[in-house]
Amino acid sequence: MKILKSAILGILLFTLINAEDGKKYGSELTLTEKTDVTAILEKPAEFDGKKVLIEGTIVGVCESRGCWIDVAAKEGYEKIRVKVDDGVIVFPLEAKGKTAVVEGEVYALTMEQEHNCASGEHKGEEKSCCSESEKEKKVYQIKGLGAVIK
Amino acid sequence: MNWRKWNNVLHRDIGYLAVGLTLIYSISGIAVNHVNEWNPNYNITKDTVAIASSADSSETNESLIAKLQNEFNIADTLKNSFRSAPLKIQLFFEKKTITADFEKRSAIVEVVSNKPILRESNFLHLNAPKKLWTYVADAFAVSLILLAITGMFMLKGKNGLSGRGKWFVIAGFIIPVAFLIIYF
Repeated sequence: MKILKSAILGILLFTLINAEDGKKYGSELTLTEKTDVTAILEKPAEFDGKKVLIEGTIVGVCESRGCWIDVAAKEGYEKIRVKVDDGVIVFPLEAKGKTAVVEGEVYALTMEQEHNCASGEHKGEEKSCCSESEKEKKVYQIKGLGAVIK
Repeated sequence: MNWRKWNNVLHRDIGYLAVGLTLIYSISGIAVNHVNEWNPNYNITKDTVAIASSADSSETNESLIAKLQNEFNIADTLKNSFRSAPLKIQLFFEKKTITADFEKRSAIVEVVSNKPILRESNFLHLNAPKKLWTYVADAFAVSLILLAITGMFMLKGKNGLSGRGKWFVIAGFIIPVAFLIIYF
């Protein structure tokens, strides 16, 4: 019984010592030089497949699974979506309005894939399925690998 | 002490130890099982309200923010804002977002609150903490395996595994196998 009580005390102490602010998500950031979101959106093909580090305000969060965030550009009206694998990183809804530093890889997908028209996955989220002519149009996102939210 | 006594002691004490995590994982399991029908973590309300004041696309962000703060009488501290179009702006507060469209003269007020217990349970169940929690979850999984195995050998006789117990065990295997045959 003494051992069990000591173990409970040990766990409580460990918890207090290791209590984190929970602001880091996924892998550690490895890049130091930041890329402007605007620069990526202006010439996205040049960044396709490249790893980038971006910083900006989080203006949207996936409501049902926390599997993406929209990061705004410093200037202008633009934003870029950072998509993470479901369950690997889960962004909280409280992140909206905070500043994110995100490392990830730029990739292209079609409008149809982005809006996920066929499967209807993530029900309840804002979704606007595109017209036939728009379906093949390319959009660029970042596959998020790690993030720090401040 | 014979092996069955040891088996029962193990089953009892691991069972006690696993109560907390079993409840967390099972409650969260039900919650996330229905993720396509409801949000297991948050209560989100979205109200569309009219904006009385007009705005011009040449106005600064500060001007639009002030108009909305006055109109909606917001005392909360503004965390940040984002202008997504000349006449569209989002204001971010703690657990509240206002998305205003001055062209349409309407705004969506979104308020978010946590679903108590569920949010925390899902956080652990879906291994959001990663790191050391991964090993705690592994240990819990091993403890469930031990509970299943020791549970089969707790009793002897007609209520034991050699009696009616075997039929329950067989039924427990048949259910997942049947669904695999149908859906896999």
